[in-house]
Amino acid sequence: MTHIETLGILEEIQAIVSDKLQVVSYKWLSRNFLVSSNVAKRLLAEFVEKHGSGLEVVYSLSGWLKNSPSNYHIQLVTRHKLSEAKQEYDGNCRADVYSVQVCIPEDPAAIWNTEFLQAEELFKQPAPVENCLRDNRFCGISASFVKRNVDGTPARVAAAQPNNAGISGPSKQNSSQTNAALPSQQNKVLQSSSKVAQHTPIMVKDVKSDGIGEVHNLAVKPSTDKKKTTSLPSNKNKDQNGKSSTGNGGSLATLLGRACTKPKCSSVPEVGSDSIQNFNGTADAQICAREAVEDENSDLDAYEVNFRRASYGEGNKKRRVVFDFSDEDENEDAVNLASPDLPKRKSLLGSEQDSKTLVSERPNSIVDKPNKDEVNVKEETMTDGEPNRSLREETSLVSKRTNGRNSVVKLESQLPETAPNKMDEVTDAAPNSTKRRKVIKTHIDDHGREVNEVVWEGEETEVKKVENHMPKKVGSGTTNAEANTVTNTTNRPTAPKRSPAVGSTAPSNPGGKAGNKKAGNAKDPKQGNILSFFKKA
Amino acid sequence: MEVDSQEQLQRKQSTYLSLDENFEIQKEVYRGQQYSQIYFARLHMMRTLLYSLVPNWKSHLPVCTVLELKEGKECIIFGTLYKHMKLKPCILDEYSKERSVAPLIKPHNFMHQDDYLVLEDESGRVKLGGTKLSTSVYVTGVVVALHGKETSAGAFFVEDVLEAGLPPQIKRPLKSREDKYVVFVSGLSIGRSSSNPLQFQLLVDHITGHLGDEEEQGLAAEIVHLVIVGNSVEISRGLLNGQNLASKDQSRLCEPFKELDILLTQIAASLPLDIMPGSSDPANFALPQQPLNRCLFPGSTTYNTFRSCTNPHCFELDSIRFLGTSGQNIDDLTKYSEAKDKLDFLERTLRWRHLAPTAPNTLGCYPFTDRDPFLIDSCPDVYFVGNQEKYETCLLKGLEGQLVRLICIPRFCETGVAVVLNMRNLECHALTFGTQISS
Repeated sequence: MTHIETLGILEEIQAIVSDKLQVVSYKWLSRNFLVSSNVAKRLLAEFVEKHGSGLEVVYSLSGWLKNSPSNYHIQLVTRHKLSEAKQEYDGNCRADVYSVQVCIPEDPAAIWNTEFLQAEELFKQPAPVENCLRDNRFCGISASFVKRNVDGTPARVAAAQPNNAGISGPSKQNSSQTNAALPSQQNKVLQSSSKVAQHTPIMVKDVKSDGIGEVHNLAVKPSTDKKKTTSLPSNKNKDQNGKSSTGNGGSLATLLGRACTKPKCSSVPEVGSDSIQNFNGTADAQICAREAVEDENSDLDAYEVNFRRASYGEGNKKRRVVFDFSDEDENEDAVNLASPDLPKRKSLLGSEQDSKTLVSERPNSIVDKPNKDEVNVKEETMTDGEPNRSLREETSLVSKRTNGRNSVVKLESQLPETAPNKMDEVTDAAPNSTKRRKVIKTHIDDHGREVNEVVWEGEETEVKKVENHMPKKVGSGTTNAEANTVTNTTNRPTAPKRSPAVGSTAPSNPGGKAGNKKAGNAKDPKQGNILSFFKKA
Repeated sequence: MEVDSQEQLQRKQSTYLSLDENFEIQKEVYRGQQYSQIYFARLHMMRTLLYSLVPNWKSHLPVCTVLELKEGKECIIFGTLYKHMKLKPCILDEYSKERSVAPLIKPHNFMHQDDYLVLEDESGRVKLGGTKLSTSVYVTGVVVALHGKETSAGAFFVEDVLEAGLPPQIKRPLKSREDKYVVFVSGLSIGRSSSNPLQFQLLVDHITGHLGDEEEQGLAAEIVHLVIVGNSVEISRGLLNGQNLASKDQSRLCEPFKELDILLTQIAASLPLDIMPGSSDPANFALPQQPLNRCLFPGSTTYNTFRSCTNPHCFELDSIRFLGTSGQNIDDLTKYSEAKDKLDFLERTLRWRHLAPTAPNTLGCYPFTDRDPFLIDSCPDVYFVGNQEKYETCLLKGLEGQLVRLICIPRFCETGVAVVLNMRNLECHALTFGTQISS
């Protein structure tokens, strides 16, 4: 670099240190002025020579220690302690200027802070950008074997050994499923959306006619989690074998692939990226993200069930669905430990269903439901932990109309609070083989996200016919709401009946209610009046 | 300043082979089984092995099962040791402790002078007597062969013990190698309030070749691999007490991961790295811990140099075999037995040919049905354990010419010490960092 450039940089350093009172470390300097670390250190040394008199300088001292010969010690020392510290070293030790600042902070980490903020900025740049953080271009050592895969797929290890410890098998299956159905897309967001769509084909398909809104609700992580999104598809697409039959997931992958290559799926990629922005941090997106993550972790059962739902859902309205997790397993008595816990899974499904349910319930204006019939209280024999599945079927049928998750969320909030412990609901639901009805319960799950779960509750005092599902659901919701003192209810018409089972399984959870409250209070004017449900009834 | 003209140093490389397949549990199916099967697999494997060793030891004695013991008859029996400990915590005590928001209970030793050992095989159990078998050394889960006889009291008086001994080691080709270094660091505990990020940043800068002059960077260019041995992240206990999290707390949950990911990106851009889960990491509790999910590291997983590995972790670099854990096995041994230092525990596990003999008794373990993945078949060249109090190392020599470098890796956030191993001669040195600059 020319002398003039050097002088210019030194001037700038002077300004930054003295005026902005910022710590200038060599690393920060190298990234800021795009010079190598070695050059940056020399620049700093020159700066210290010329202008460093009033400033504090921190040196990095490194070498072998005298007293413990097999100890290579690297330490940071201030200028006036430098010569003293050098005594500890055996022979030659190297000292470089580490940073220049106006005064030494109490906490050494403050020196690191500016540099880290810079690193964070670089880190947050979109994935395809090759910046100096990502390729480490300013260090003194080049490593040509390092490859970074920017389109979301992590590159395979350079020394390709056949039995490399990779990620577990199921994730490979997942990836094959993903690959099977959708072409890999450059846009990570779309990738993630398609991937999530892959895993929850029902949601995508069912909601499709509604338009892009839902798909995004369900399929897209909020932009805040964009990074994670990248990694998810990257993990998925790891195995670029297209429709490869990788182990157990093979046939399933093709089935799911076929399911997703329906024209409706194309609505997913069409979604503009801006719609993604709408759902920052919303529960649904988180749930989707969580689903995606958990699905990723060998949740084959969920896929299988998803798939069955897809095939059953559309045509068979009054179909009795029996959920049996272990159906698809090779060993009937096997309990899939690799999948998330039952409660979690229920919550996953429940949350999926919630979105759908809410989607379907939302339109208070929607009075005539052609598929109301199917929305019967299912006389299903449900195994433990499956109540949400049947709900899903139902909701999938009526799900088409929704748009806008705000209303969805709000509707949820008006429904009864749920116990944080979903197991209660399950156990309550299981013994009942009589009519059940769906109740939406909200709680905060382990990840701290608000999960809305649609759960079957035994209903003894059912007055209305089950056909009026929508109102009934809301009705039951309101009954519970009334039973619950803390629920946030804005318009609560008198409920037609009480649901004792619901009450029994909905112990108050102050935290959850608080969360619900927040959601509930944000009344969305676009949403129809909930009273219209009950007027119909 | 002609700085750009100098040749940039090239980082050395070595071939990597992962042997973690044994520790992955994705193919396992849980049918509600209990732990008897893993014990049976362990006993079966070890008994076959010990049986082959008995002729060299005491060939004249008959072998019998526990039920076939006759009073006064000298014989050899094989079985799994069980140590009956008076002070061993029971699950109810642990449960009541869990409910409070108290920090992790520091392990203390549960030994008591009234502890006694019992030998158990498929047929039965017999209490062990005699002084040959030291109760303070052995723990539940070790499979041994015992020579002795039954006493009138019905106990088995032990006259001699046969352990499996160091497993055979594959001889490495003795070609003269160049200096290639592997760096081990553990216990970064990012997210802990007392952790000093500047220290780890210095480590990253040194390894990636930013710090130091050309000579130092030349040293750094010889580092071919970095292994992060567990406990990279620490999430504040207050966030994990089962209460609902406010949204601001939710972001506090991910802060440590973001920080770790940025630092790992810097490393992965420069050299291959393995990250193992530890007891405080978001991985499963039971051993073998599965690799940390790649979605935790969205920035780093894009690199081909980034590997998320199981705990225990076994791999080969340039055909040198490394085996190590994040510390749970040794910590458990510390609780239930005693030794003069941690290296002693390491050596014992090698002699017993089992990474974690106390699993599943007091150490969480997956109920394998047909195998025990912690059995050590082949002696590693480097055997390490992470998250210990201080850096210790020694070179262990076996009877059949095995040579193992044992390493205890200290917790970096407390000590600022990382360990560097030279693959050419299996020599170790410490890499320490100091950031005390405030006067």
